[in-house]
Amino acid sequence: MTTTHPTGMEPVAPATQPPRPPELRRISPGIRINIRGRSVRLRGLRRTPSGPLRWLAILGPGIIAGSAGNDAGGIATYSQAGAKFGYDMLWVIVLITLSLAVVQEMSARLGAATGRGLLDLIRERFGIGWSLFAVGIVLVANGVLIVGEFIGIGAAVELLGISRYVVIPGAAVVLWYLVVKGSYARVEKVFLLMALGFLAYPVSAILAHPQWGAVARGAVVPTIHFSSAYILLFVGLLGTTITPYQQIFQQSAVVDKGVARRHYGEERIDTYVGMVLSDLMSAFMIIATAATLHVVGKTNIGSAADAAQALEPVAGRFAAALFAVGLLGASLLAGAVLPLATAFSVSEVFGFPKGVNLDFRRGKFFLSLFTVFVILGAVLAMIPGLPVIQALVWIQVLNGILLPVILVFILLLVNDRRLMGDLRNTRLYNVLGWGTLTLVSVAITIMISTQLLGAVGVHVLGG
Amino acid sequence: MILLSQLLRYELIDRSGRRAVPVDFTIDLGADHPPVTGLLWRRAREATRFLPWEAVDSLDRDRQRFVVADLSGDDTPVEESTDRRVLLRRDVLDALVIDLSARRAMRANDLMLEAEGGALRLAAVDASAWAVLRRLSRGVVGHDADEPSDWSYVEFLRGDPQAPTCGVDYNRRITRLPPGEIARLMEALPYLEAAELVTLLPDALAADTLEVMSPQRQLQVFEELDETVAIRLVALMAPDAAADLVGHLRAEMAERYLGLLPPECRERVVDLLRYPEDTVGGIMTNDVVVVPPSATIGQAVDIIRGQVATPDLVYYVYVVEDLASRELRGMITLRTLLLAEVDQRVADVMDPYLVTLHPLTPAREAAQRVVDSQLFALPVVGADGRLLGAVTVDAAVLQVAPESWRKDVPRVFA
Repeated sequence: MTTTHPTGMEPVAPATQPPRPPELRRISPGIRINIRGRSVRLRGLRRTPSGPLRWLAILGPGIIAGSAGNDAGGIATYSQAGAKFGYDMLWVIVLITLSLAVVQEMSARLGAATGRGLLDLIRERFGIGWSLFAVGIVLVANGVLIVGEFIGIGAAVELLGISRYVVIPGAAVVLWYLVVKGSYARVEKVFLLMALGFLAYPVSAILAHPQWGAVARGAVVPTIHFSSAYILLFVGLLGTTITPYQQIFQQSAVVDKGVARRHYGEERIDTYVGMVLSDLMSAFMIIATAATLHVVGKTNIGSAADAAQALEPVAGRFAAALFAVGLLGASLLAGAVLPLATAFSVSEVFGFPKGVNLDFRRGKFFLSLFTVFVILGAVLAMIPGLPVIQALVWIQVLNGILLPVILVFILLLVNDRRLMGDLRNTRLYNVLGWGTLTLVSVAITIMISTQLLGAVGVHVLGG
Repeated sequence: MILLSQLLRYELIDRSGRRAVPVDFTIDLGADHPPVTGLLWRRAREATRFLPWEAVDSLDRDRQRFVVADLSGDDTPVEESTDRRVLLRRDVLDALVIDLSARRAMRANDLMLEAEGGALRLAAVDASAWAVLRRLSRGVVGHDADEPSDWSYVEFLRGDPQAPTCGVDYNRRITRLPPGEIARLMEALPYLEAAELVTLLPDALAADTLEVMSPQRQLQVFEELDETVAIRLVALMAPDAAADLVGHLRAEMAERYLGLLPPECRERVVDLLRYPEDTVGGIMTNDVVVVPPSATIGQAVDIIRGQVATPDLVYYVYVVEDLASRELRGMITLRTLLLAEVDQRVADVMDPYLVTLHPLTPAREAAQRVVDSQLFALPVVGADGRLLGAVTVDAAVLQVAPESWRKDVPRVFA
């Protein structure tokens, strides 16, 4: 404490008036504005950031929603796609990026225009029946994703030589405790830091010296293999990249950030940048796997250890460890956020108290739902002899199947004049939105029919 | 009590035996238990039409039907989706409404109506989970609501911030809640509904409520307000709260709003906005009560009486050499003022031993001193000895409290 201020030991008099504080810090120059013809310099006004800072300030929900797609299931699906078909599925990612950006932008717009979550809007616009249907879809889609996250946790620690039967229950208890006791926000950064381990993928992709010509061709020329594995992975890629959970999350995050309808315009950039970055990451995962595994003829990823080999160009014999840390971080992050977000949006539909700062008496429904999700996820992920990568890919496929339902709701809501006002969909967005819906639906129909036909012994497509 | 979900399964029959189904009900929300004013009905494959409640002869609960005069359908059809009236099924059912007695937002899972003397009135909201089950099972599963919320303690919001100024009816009982509770209720509402609620409140209460909202919510709500309403509210806010709010606006908007404020209020806000927000000047209030030392206690009380209308901090009266130079000499509490003899002079009873703050000291450091001093406020004095304002313990606590529980801190001078 500085002693230059009057200490109350003598009466205040001109002589003892406080001198300026010694550490006269650099005071911001302030903004000069004209009020009633008088020019004043105001330092207390927030200066809107300009230049690169301006873009950084806007970035937020989009980036997080985008990277939510690159979780355990995402890595499994991208690795499988890269190993099996090399660069041939890259064009799908390019196509999906456009769809994803459009869908996510509509979700963000819904959030900004109404200040409400998706399930909340469905409840108000379509009534109780439809909203319960949507809740059911979300519960299934997110439920299997949560199982996927715990499978990811198990796979990561097994790579490090620890039994998953020990770590999965432990992780469930720790995550539950952190969230319920409200200290989750503090450890979240640790998980995020761990998940950054996946930044090794782009480096690995470059160090593996892929044939960039082939990469470029794969990204631009649609190459379609007529096999059920291809169509299955196609739906899986759709399902892992455009996930119902992501739309719900994006909308809630925009609401939570407090984006108002009149400032929505600049928020679009956030969504677009987030989605492009996220899909760029996905593409690098495919490239890295294709350039390390596919080229040497290893076309099936059976375990996390196989998938980890894609990081060998950058990490050598530590590839498995690096992969494990990244996977663990990403899975723990999503393992806490997914049950939380699900419990949040479902509570919202019924108007039950929600939020992590509730005790069990007030937030019975919210906390019970959260707890059930964590327990269910952990228990199902411990089924002995579970084929890790296959299970993860199938979870994404299931998400892909449920996606059209949520898309229909979003498209109907975003075209509602009473709800959206000036922010309702333009014709271009409608074309792209309904186009995405058609694409997903056609892919799912083909996939389901080939699987069904395959089950009764008719093979339309090759194995 | 009849449930809205039941009523929607009733049928309409007129005197000549024509049948139709009710689609929705219009309501006049002005009263405690508002009456249904009419119903929208439809016959198979025909357009929706409106029937005023006066045309309903009776409500036959045993045979589950409305007996009405005439369903010939000669009148003009109504477009249900764009109708501007409040409709029970479309708007109120399933909406997020405010339960004033429990101070929370709840879902209107079902609505309970009461038929008496030919009128049908909205009586209560069933927000229980049973109502959901009952609706899904068409009344087979689920029992009656244990504790429905009486509609006279329910406020329904439309999500349109301009609605209250367009002569739309509200319950308005929310205006009896203290501002802090209203602000907390608003945190649970979507921002358009929150803005609508602010517009609904009388100006003074709206300004007080705005003051205690979280900064993000405050800004979001404020930007949705009509410009004239917004200006009126800023003028009514304490200058420090107003300066914080204006400081968060975009520069061009701040410039515009400052220009439109009443001169005296603008002066105060602009004075505060000269200081960076992380300094003492950024957290102080400049609306303080002052008296000259030469005045007698009797005169001082008269002088103060003219000043205490607006400031939040009235318990401490600062003694300044003269009102023009505002050179700080001491401080006198209201208690001293009340206990002193009328003919004593202020200079004799005042406390000249004061800890003061400099306006450019970092806010955090100064706030700690205010909290440590256990006083309601410490005066802020410029290098020339001028009294600039005071940092109240409210403002100080907000600075030193950890981010996580700042929103839960109660405010004394609000």
